[in-house]
Amino acid sequence: MMTQPSPNGDHLLVADNIYAGYLDYDILKGVSLHVDKGEVVCVIGPNGAGKSTVFKAIYGLLRVRKGHIFFDGQEITNWRPQEILRAGISIVPQLHSIFPQMTVYENLEMGLYLVRDKRRIQERIDYVLSLFPRLAERRNQQAGTMSGGERRMLEIGRALLLEPKLVMMDEPSAGLAPLITRMIFENVRRLNEEIGLTVLMIEQNARQGLEYSHRGYVLELGENTYKGSARELLEDPEVRRAFLGGR
Amino acid sequence: MDQLLQALVNGLLLGGFYGVMVLGFSVIWGVMGVINLAHGEFVMIGAYFAWVLNRSLGIDPFLSLIVIMPVMFFVGWLLQRVLINRIVERPHLIALLVTFGLSIALANLFKLFFTADPRTVPVSYNGSFELAGLTFPIVKTIVFGLSLVVMLALHIFLQYTRLGKSIRAAAQNKEAARIVGVEVGRVYAITFGICIALTAAAGAMVSTTIPVFPFMGPPFTLKAFTITALGGLGRIPGALLGGIILGVVETLVAIMVPGVGTNLGIATSFVLLVVILIVRPQGLLKGLRPMEVT
Repeated sequence: MMTQPSPNGDHLLVADNIYAGYLDYDILKGVSLHVDKGEVVCVIGPNGAGKSTVFKAIYGLLRVRKGHIFFDGQEITNWRPQEILRAGISIVPQLHSIFPQMTVYENLEMGLYLVRDKRRIQERIDYVLSLFPRLAERRNQQAGTMSGGERRMLEIGRALLLEPKLVMMDEPSAGLAPLITRMIFENVRRLNEEIGLTVLMIEQNARQGLEYSHRGYVLELGENTYKGSARELLEDPEVRRAFLGGR
Repeated sequence: MDQLLQALVNGLLLGGFYGVMVLGFSVIWGVMGVINLAHGEFVMIGAYFAWVLNRSLGIDPFLSLIVIMPVMFFVGWLLQRVLINRIVERPHLIALLVTFGLSIALANLFKLFFTADPRTVPVSYNGSFELAGLTFPIVKTIVFGLSLVVMLALHIFLQYTRLGKSIRAAAQNKEAARIVGVEVGRVYAITFGICIALTAAAGAMVSTTIPVFPFMGPPFTLKAFTITALGGLGRIPGALLGGIILGVVETLVAIMVPGVGTNLGIATSFVLLVVILIVRPQGLLKGLRPMEVT
């Protein structure tokens, strides 16, 4: 007997009791989470807990075997990545996704590869450059010659080109120095405050990730064990002991 | 001194041709990671194509490029879809084996149809002109000029068109190209088509200066290696510079080591390759780094 959940109009993204994995083995065993419009939500958890798997399942890179995913009032379970992109979810993947020998501007152009309207391309690129003055300064610089932090900003900027309703970030802090990580998170917060950007991020760096989020989920062995406001999680003794390295 | 200057001029003219000859090899390697050992055979096919059109219809070999390039683009596109697509993203050795097999098959297929007799493609304007006391053979000067035009056209295409940008994107970061919506398989087929068209065009041009025969290909493949090592993968300015260096060195060796002629050219090319690999393994310019297409 399966219960048929109804799309909850209040939430922008809902993952309801999802099971997904590789071959016959489920890595996610009934994960549920939601993201509201204007929120920054962070999923934390140890290595191998299935954080990236959640990301892949929502984005259609991995088959969801059981459970439902709703976005913006419609079910998107097992849609293809292209369709999900069109529905309004952009991703900032963990792997390096810039084109190193292209200029910053050309990288942004490539982000709008599927858009043919030249005026719209120009408008969107100008808009994104206005959000990131640092990128605007370097518009003609080869992207590969920029620092790791600047490249990550370019990746985030490119994710905003298609006017997404939600941006999913897979470990935005991966491979970056602590100071740079802070700068990236500051920018996520700034975009959230300035343009109401809704973000779902998956973070290894649990403490910092939560500090810059409204709410969080703790994922352990494919199940979410804790959820709550970022403050609650940061202060919860169990969570602190297990994931935040605190006492 | 005059002799030296003249050798430099000859080397320069030869180098321009080398530059366009190597482009297809270098761009296929840079974009798809496939080392095409059948490269020289496509030079050979282009040369035969020009010979056939000239002999049967009397078409000028330079004019015949208008026919040869589109036809060979299609041949390349088809070949990528049918054969090369299966070896992209596989270990290098498989690509080497398949393209080496292809080179043997093509050379022998052409021997079957055209025999091993060397053919020449005559042109009426086979003289030379003098400029500043130096001799410029007309045909070689045309080849040089056309080579520059082709290189410039490819540069503009890759740099400024949407399709060209998608080729560069796929070369630099395949996964990211997929994320932004580039159909990488289609890009590869188009790239292969363009490269085969360019290579055949080089063959058609060179048919006016050297004899055409089924086994003329391998030296071109070998020289392509040297030039790519000199100039870097997929780099058009690098291809031109590398080509000119090889052309000048070959010509100088030919006049300084009398009695050997340009047959020593291939040996020269390898000595050069070995020296580069010892002294500057990353290449003269930015060098042998994959994923660079400009």
